[in-house]
Parts: sequence; structure tokens; C-alpha cells
Amino acid sequence: MNLIAPLCAAGFFASGVLSDPVSVTHYLVVGAILFTSGVVCMAVKRNALGILMGIELVLNGANVNFIAFGSPYLRGEGSASIGLDGEAIALFVILLAAAEAAVALAITLNFYNNHSTVDIDEADDLQG
Amino acid sequence: MMGTLLGDSTATLGMVLLAAINWHSLLFYLFAAAACACAVAVVLTDNVVRMAFYLVLSLGATAGIFFLAGADFVGAMQLMIYVGGTLVLLVFGVMLTAQAPFVSIRTPASDKVLGGIVGAALLMVLVLSAFSVESWRRPAMGLVAAPSATPLGMAFLGVRVDDDPLAAPVVDSIRSGYLLPFEIVSVHLLVVLVGAAYLARAKRRRMPRGIETAGADAAATGGRS
Amino acid sequence: MDPASTLPLLLGLAWLTPLVSFVAILFFGPRMGPHGKSSAAVATAAIVVSLALSLAALGTWLSVHPVQAVSHDSHAAADSHADSHADSHADSHADSHADSHADSHADSHDQALPPAYSGDWYTLYEGGALKLSIGWYIDALTVLMFVVVTFIASCIHIYAAGYMHDELHDFTDHTVHLSDGSHFHRPGRFSRFFQSLSLFCFSMLGIVIAGNLAMIFIFWELVGICSWFLIGFYYERQSASNAANKAFIVNRVGDFGMIIGMMALWGALGTLHFADSSGQNSAGIETIRPGLLSLVRPEATHHALHVPDGMVKFAAADRVAEITLDHATRTEDGASEIASRVDDWRAMGYGRWLLFVAGIGIFCGCVGKSAQFPLFVWLPDAMEGPTPVSALVHSATMVAAGVFLMGRFYPVLTPDVLLVIAYTGAITLFLAATIALVATDIKQVLAYSTISQLGYMMLALGVGGWVAGLFHLFTHAFFKSLLFLCSGSVIHACHTNDMRKMGGLAKVMPWTAGTMLVGCLAIIGAGVPFVIGLSGYYSKDSILAQALSFSQANPSHSILFVAATGGAFLTAFYMFRLWFMTFAGQPRDAHISEHAHESPRVMVAPLVALAILAIVAGWSLPGGFGIAAMLEQARPAGTAATVTSGYLFGSLTIPAEHESHVGAIHETATLAAFATAAAGVLLAAMMYVWRILSPLAVAWVFRPIYTFLKQRWYFDELYGAIFVQPVLGIASLASSIDLGVIDKIIDGVAWTARQLAGIDAWIDRTLVDGLVNATASATWSAGIELKKLQTGHLRQYVMFIVIGTVAMFVLASLLLRSSLAA
Repeated sequence: MNLIAPLCAAGFFASGVLSDPVSVTHYLVVGAILFTSGVVCMAVKRNALGILMGIELVLNGANVNFIAFGSPYLRGEGSASIGLDGEAIALFVILLAAAEAAVALAITLNFYNNHSTVDIDEADDLQG
Repeated sequence: MMGTLLGDSTATLGMVLLAAINWHSLLFYLFAAAACACAVAVVLTDNVVRMAFYLVLSLGATAGIFFLAGADFVGAMQLMIYVGGTLVLLVFGVMLTAQAPFVSIRTPASDKVLGGIVGAALLMVLVLSAFSVESWRRPAMGLVAAPSATPLGMAFLGVRVDDDPLAAPVVDSIRSGYLLPFEIVSVHLLVVLVGAAYLARAKRRRMPRGIETAGADAAATGGRS
Repeated sequence: MDPASTLPLLLGLAWLTPLVSFVAILFFGPRMGPHGKSSAAVATAAIVVSLALSLAALGTWLSVHPVQAVSHDSHAAADSHADSHADSHADSHADSHADSHADSHADSHDQALPPAYSGDWYTLYEGGALKLSIGWYIDALTVLMFVVVTFIASCIHIYAAGYMHDELHDFTDHTVHLSDGSHFHRPGRFSRFFQSLSLFCFSMLGIVIAGNLAMIFIFWELVGICSWFLIGFYYERQSASNAANKAFIVNRVGDFGMIIGMMALWGALGTLHFADSSGQNSAGIETIRPGLLSLVRPEATHHALHVPDGMVKFAAADRVAEITLDHATRTEDGASEIASRVDDWRAMGYGRWLLFVAGIGIFCGCVGKSAQFPLFVWLPDAMEGPTPVSALVHSATMVAAGVFLMGRFYPVLTPDVLLVIAYTGAITLFLAATIALVATDIKQVLAYSTISQLGYMMLALGVGGWVAGLFHLFTHAFFKSLLFLCSGSVIHACHTNDMRKMGGLAKVMPWTAGTMLVGCLAIIGAGVPFVIGLSGYYSKDSILAQALSFSQANPSHSILFVAATGGAFLTAFYMFRLWFMTFAGQPRDAHISEHAHESPRVMVAPLVALAILAIVAGWSLPGGFGIAAMLEQARPAGTAATVTSGYLFGSLTIPAEHESHVGAIHETATLAAFATAAAGVLLAAMMYVWRILSPLAVAWVFRPIYTFLKQRWYFDELYGAIFVQPVLGIASLASSIDLGVIDKIIDGVAWTARQLAGIDAWIDRTLVDGLVNATASATWSAGIELKKLQTGHLRQYVMFIVIGTVAMFVLASLLLRSSLAA
């Protein structure tokens, strides 16, 4: 027990993961995971609300990227950042996501009222 | 003695280790792991109520990441609007439609596999591109950012007070505030809310009953004649 | 009352009235009464108005220029010329008009200008030396001609109103057979007939009043086209349309010569006006432009014929050019030298040929129009027209135009031309008379007699009998129109032209027979010698006398008198043959004589009127007034005296006309005429009344001559062989070239174009259309296929988007990498 913890810690130090500061890439990876989760969510969920959640995840992943690029803290040496724009865009995205969620929810409720279901596979009226 | 020594050494080592740990990075890893895990959980679970729960956790963890990146105002907004507003909205939706058959709708396994493959491909592309730029991988200089709420607020009012020494002069000259987008977004939000309220309002079901009545009348008259 | 302004006004109105009638009938003819019946009244009224205006003009003329008796027995009065000349100049400047030669001479033997008025109403074109104008030249001849033409035309109009009544309703032409065997049936053409008659009169009067050759030529052609209309009136009949074409084409041959003559005159002299005309030159100065008459017979030579300066210079163009070259620097010198040498050149004979050509050219036109040898062939065929037309054509209008023009143009004619004219006339009169001997068609006989009488007129002009020729023109106009109208009356009654089917008609048609007898007597010149006679007696006697006078003066040309005398015998024979065959004896065809009847009053009245004039036209009134006397007044200056001159055909003496009126010559001629005429009548009576000589036996004995004459000397065959067949051959050759070569080439081009178009159409349908259709169907099927992608499954769409994004990314990175590597 005593040996395992130090060893683990040593392993961490050896790789330098915990001691090194994080870079923009770390954030981008997190954003990518969130984004991919959202996309897969949209592609797989049959529940309309599930798809809405997938959209939220996608927007969130995008926001992580904006924040990462706009952050002065994460700025590497000699690299530029988009500065305050990143945060401003992120704020707008949040607001638009809220608006989108409201409208989407209203559409979902309408769909539910008309078809008595929220299964998105039933909504194929526009197929060619 | 041995134990003490060992304990001491362990403690010492622990002290050293603790002193060497970059707490900022550690916190980032924690929040990032939480956000990613919860996002994956959202994908994996079928129950819509649980999905909503995991989503709240994921978004909250993301807010933490925002704080760590120095975007304190955005993080706060993330918590307030997303976690506090949008998610409540979704939960309302879940509650309104969460009748027994719809709580968990199963997806065909083939779709899941397909989605997984496609998602893996997309993830691979995104991660590759995240590592493709050298300057992005460069570790942060560790500058402590000033709180961004004030410059952001001023920018929304049309005045840029932040100073970006690295920005090119030509970019500097055209940088301006976000007053117009801010206004547009405000009005947009208002319209959207009104529209959403209109779309989601309760409708009376008149027509089916009217049709039924007419049919009954016609049947009655037909039978009489 | 100023005659210089009154006469043109009166005659101009008389001239234009038929034109008004023509225009009115042209536009409103078919609407004038039922079947256009009133058009006859319109046309007749017009010509009667014209006659009244002409008579008014005659009165005006006589009041200004009173006519004095022609003293047949008086001496030549050559020695009193100078006195009377001076006197008349002193007292008779009645007219101050610049254009007129209003010297009124009591003694027309004077070598002064005859009284005449001229001027222009309207100038068509004026540029350089050429001046084309509508103008007038009025002398006694013009006035007399107007009266005679309008009088005869009036009679014929009245007569035609009765004669043409068949045209008042739908007309069935029994001589035209349609392909289905039925007869040709058509609406009546009453108004069209009178429309053409009016135009005809207008054209003829235009010739008479014309003040220059160009205007004459215009109306000359108008007369030709009118004759074409009228001869071809029954144009459905092949013979009628052929006759009309023949008349027109033969006339064109003559007109070609006339154009040459006009070119010669205008090219050399620069004017076509008869009289002098005043005008402003380019500098605006009033100048006298000399006319043809004063150029050829200038006052300076006492109106003796001489070649005008212009013609001399024209003929001596080489020498003129030489002199001009010599004086290239000083043109005035050159001009003066040319002027000084003109007389020398004239003496050397320069320009005589040109004047000869001019005269012969104009005479050519008259040969065609007046049916002289060799262009007389059209006139017998012209009988195809309705009989009133024949009467009009043969008396007062068309054929008279030629003689009239010769009379008008007489002063310009050289003795050589006159000789040619005389021989032409002699040949014509003899030729036509012989043919008339054997003709059996009543109108053919009259046609050939017309040709013969025209020959007399030409002969008279040619031997110097200016008055005699024109006098015969007038008397002939009366009795020939009378004869034609009588024959029309006969044809109207018998419905045939063949004299062999007639006979004994005198009982049925006394008026016609009587008036026709008058006509026959007039044409043979019957009369009591030296006492009194019908109109023909005077005119024919003066012709014979002049011919005799000429023969005596030029013994080598005495054949002319023989021809004239022999012609008189033949005339008497065939005219009385005609009369006897038609009216005397027993009816030969019972059917015809039963149906024969006297003509209606509207047709008889003109006969009587013309018969009276045929008797009296030659008489002189106690005051001395007579046609001959009035013509004497218009005698061209310088033609009264005997002239002996040496020209192209050797020396020739043109005897003065008044010399033939006196003494032995006149008596000889009168007796010869009487004897021959009496002999002719006797022979005719022997053969056709008393039956002493059988016409058939005579014809059998003289079989070759009879056939030769019956075939009209084979002139039609001759012309057919010489002119018509070659022309037809060339035409058919040209036609076959046209059909065989040109049409084939065009057909080939068209066929090629069609084939090319076919190929083009195939390319269009197959390739172009195929391409368009293929594009369309490809788009359609692509749309059908792509429709299947539109599944309506949202999740699938998301999948597509992601796959698309990844694919784009991969592609972009690959491309970027390769480009970076490059």
C-alpha cells in the first residue's frame, strides 16, 4: 500500500503529467471528446430530448475550444490568442443554445401533441 | 524506527511530491475527466432521466474547466444559464413527455455500432487536428489572468479596455466592442422565447369532435330517410 | 376676242372633254345605269361637247382669218408676191402674241408663214437643249381636223350606242368554243367599249393639237394602245387577240423608225417643237427658240428648204472638231470660224443625209400608222374589232394620224423623201386595190379600199400636192366612215360578213342601201365633169392632176400617174362590186334575207348625216369657203412654188400645186378620172348585174392571178417566213434553253439544297436533340435515384453530416499535405 502510492506518484512525475502546466491541446482534446459525444448522441438517440441533449453537448464542446483559444492563461510562449473574442463568442453560444433549447423543446412538445410520441424515427413525413 | 523512518520518508516524499504537483493541472484533469465521463455516460445510457442528470454533471464540470482557463465570467454564465436554465428546461421537457413507453427508447444495436464507428472516426480526426499545431502544444506560460468580467462587460457596451500586446496593430485598429451583436442576441432571445411560448401553447382539440358530430348527424339522417 | 388665247382654250377643252368621259367611265362605267347603259350617253355627250367647242373654234378662226376662194383659173401670181407680202404685213398684225405667226394672208400662194398659234400648256421636262412639253400648234389644218374628227366620232358614238346593244346583257360568243364544247359566255362590256372610244378620241385630238413631235409621239402611242384595246375587244377570240397584237407590233416597227427620225432631229437641232417658242435662257433673258419649221425653212431663204445649221455642224463634226482644236485657246475665234464656214459645208452637201434620215424616219412612223406598204398588213386584220371601231380607225383617227403627221411635217421633208413617199403611196394604192378586187368579206373590201385611199393621200403628198392629200384625207374620212357604218348596218342585219351570202338587200334596207350608194359614188369620185360632183370628185381629181403635173415635170416618174389612174379604175370596180353583190340582184341566202331588217333609227341617223357630208364636203360655198380653201390657208410656207432641186436621187422638180388646177392638166386629169371610174362601174355592172361576164369564169381564166390576189400577194406568208418564224424559232430556242438549262441548274441547286437540309435535319434530330434528351433523361433518372437518399430519418442525416465532415477533413489534409510536400 505504501509502495503503490509513491510508485504511482513517481510514474506521474516521470511522465511529467501532473507537474507540467496544461496547454491548449488539452482543452481541445476535452472539447473533441464532448463534441464527439454530442454527435454520437444525436446519431444514436431515438428520443427527441436525447437529441436535444446531444446538441447541448456539441455546443459545449465548441465552447471549450473558444475558451481555450481565448484564454490568456493558456497562451503558449510566442503564440497568439483571440483574446476577449473567445469569451464573447462563448457567451453568445451559451445564449443561443438557451434560445435553441427553448424553441426545440416547443417543437418537441408540438410533435408530441400531434404524434403522441417523442420517437424521432416516427418523424419521417418529409422522406423523398 | 523503520516504520517511522519509512513513514517519515513517505511523508517527506509525499511533501516533495505535493510540492511538485501542479495544482492547476491536477484540477484540470479532474474536471476534464468528469466532463468527458459524464458526456460518455449521456451517450451510453438509454434512460432519458439519467441522461439529463449526467448532462448536468458534464456541463458543471465544463464550467470548472472554464474557471481554470481564466474565463471566470463565462464559467459563471455556464453555470447560471446552462446548468440553471437550459437544463431545467430540458428537465421540464422530460417530465412532460416522460410517459412509460418513452422514458427509455431502445436503439437498434446496429445503429449503435454504426454510431460508434462514425464517432470514433470523428474523434480521431478532431484529436489529430488538436495535436497538429505545434504552438497549441506548447505549455502555458502560467500567466495569471486578470478577472475578465470587467473588460467583457465594457466590451458589451462597445468599449474595449483589454490590452493585447500580441495582437497585430492592424487587428487592433479594427477591434471594437460587441454592442451590436449583444443587441441582436438580446432581441433574438426575446423573439425566440415568444415564439417558443406560442409553439408550445396548449391547443384545443375541436376538429375531431366536430367531424365526429357531423358524421353522427349524417348517419342519423341517413338512417331516418 | 383674242384668238391667241381663245383658240387654245376652246380646242384644249375640246381635247380634254373625252378624257373626262374616259376617266368617268373608267371609274363609274359599270354603275352608270343598268349594265352601264348610260356610259354611252356620257361618252356621246362628251364628244358632242367636243364637237361644239371645235365648231366654236372654227367660227373664231374664220372670224379672224376669213377664207377667200381658191381661184382655180387664176394665174400663179408669182410676180405679185412682193406687193402682197408687204401689204399683208402692213395690215394684218392681228396678233401680238409672241409665239404666233399670225400673219393673215389673203393670198395663200404667198411665200409667207401661214397663220398659226403655238405655245405650251405644261412643260414636262426642260434641261439642256431638250424641252418636253404639252403644247399646242393651231393653224387652219388643226381647226379643220378637230371639227372633222369630232364630227365623225360623234356620228360613230351615236351609231355605236345602237350597234353595241348586244353588250348590254350577258353575251354568248358563238365563235369561241370552250374545251367542253359550249360557247363562251361572259358579261357584257358596253361601258368598256365607250371608255376605249373616249380614250381613242382624246388620243387622236392630242395628236392633232400637239405642238411638238414628242407630244405627237406620246399620243401616237396612245392611239396605238387604244387600237389594241378596241381591235382586241373580243379578245376571247383567237383571231381578235392576234389581230390586236399584230396591229400593235407592226405599228411598233414603224415607230422605231419614227424614234430614229426624232433622234436625228433632236440630236442635230435640239428641238422638237414645230413653231418658234419663246423662253428664258440661263441668264434669264427672253429668247426665241426657233422651231423645226423655221429652222428648215428660215425666213432668210424666203422659206426655201435648206439644211439647218445644226444638221450641217452635226454632219461635219470632224471638221468642227478640227477647227475647235486649232483654236483651242480662243474659243470665240473657233466659233466664229465655224459659223463662217457653215454655208460652205452646206453647199458641199453636209447634213443632207441627216435631213433625209429625219424625214424618212418620221415617214416610217406614218407608214406603220397609215398602213402603207410594206406595213399595211395589220389593217385588214383589224376588222376583227366591232364595226364602229373599224369606222373610227379607218376614217378619222388612227390611219388619219399618219397622213396628218406627214402634212404637219411636210415642210421638213426633202424632195428625196417626197419621192420615196410618192412611190410608197403608189405601190400601196395599187397593191391594196388589187387585193380588194377579190375579197369577199365586206369589211375586208373596205379595209383594202382604205389602204388604197391612204396610198392616194401619200402619193399626193409625195408629188407635192399638200392640199390635195389632206383634202382627200377629209373627204375620205366622211365617206369611208359612212361606208363602214353602212357595212356595219348590213352586218348587223345579216349577222355575216360574207358578201356571197348577201344580195337583194336594197329592198329590205333602203336607207342603208341609199347611203352606201352615196358612199360608193363619193369614193370613186363621181360627178359631172367640170360642173359638180361628190366630195371624192374634187379631192381625187386634184390628186390625179397633181400626179399628172409631177409626171410631166419629171417624165421618168410618170408611172406614178399611171398607178393613180389605174387605181381609180380598180376603186370603181371593187366598190361597185361590193354594192352590187350586197344590195342588187336576188337574195342568195334565203335564211339571211328573211331575217334582214333595216337598222334602228339611232344607227340610220348618223348614216344620213355622213352621207350628206360625203356629198357636200368638197363643195365650196359661194363666199369661197371650202375645205380646200381653208387648207390652202394653212399651207406651209415655201411649198407653194415650183421647186427644182438636186438632191440625193438626182434632180427633181416638185411642181407647184396651183399649177395643176389650171388648164390642160386639170382637164386631162378630170377626164381620165371620170373615164376610169365609169369604166370600173360598167365592168362591175357587167359582171354582177347584167351577168354578161361571169365572175367565176374570169376567176378561172386568170386563175394564177386570182389565187395570188386572193392570198393577198402572200404578204402574210412572206412576213411569216421572213420575220415571224425566225423570231418564233429564236423564242423557242430561248425557251428551251430556259427550260432545259437554266431551270435544270436551278432545280439542281434546289435539289442539292434540299439534300443538304435533309442531312442537317438528321443531324439536328439525332445528335442535337439526342444530346438534349439524354441530358434531360440523365437529370431525371439522377433525381429519381437521389430521391432515395431523402429518407426522412434525422439520425441518418446526422450520420451523413459527420461522415461528410470526416471525409472532407481527410481529403483536405491529404491534399494539403501533398501540396506542402510539393
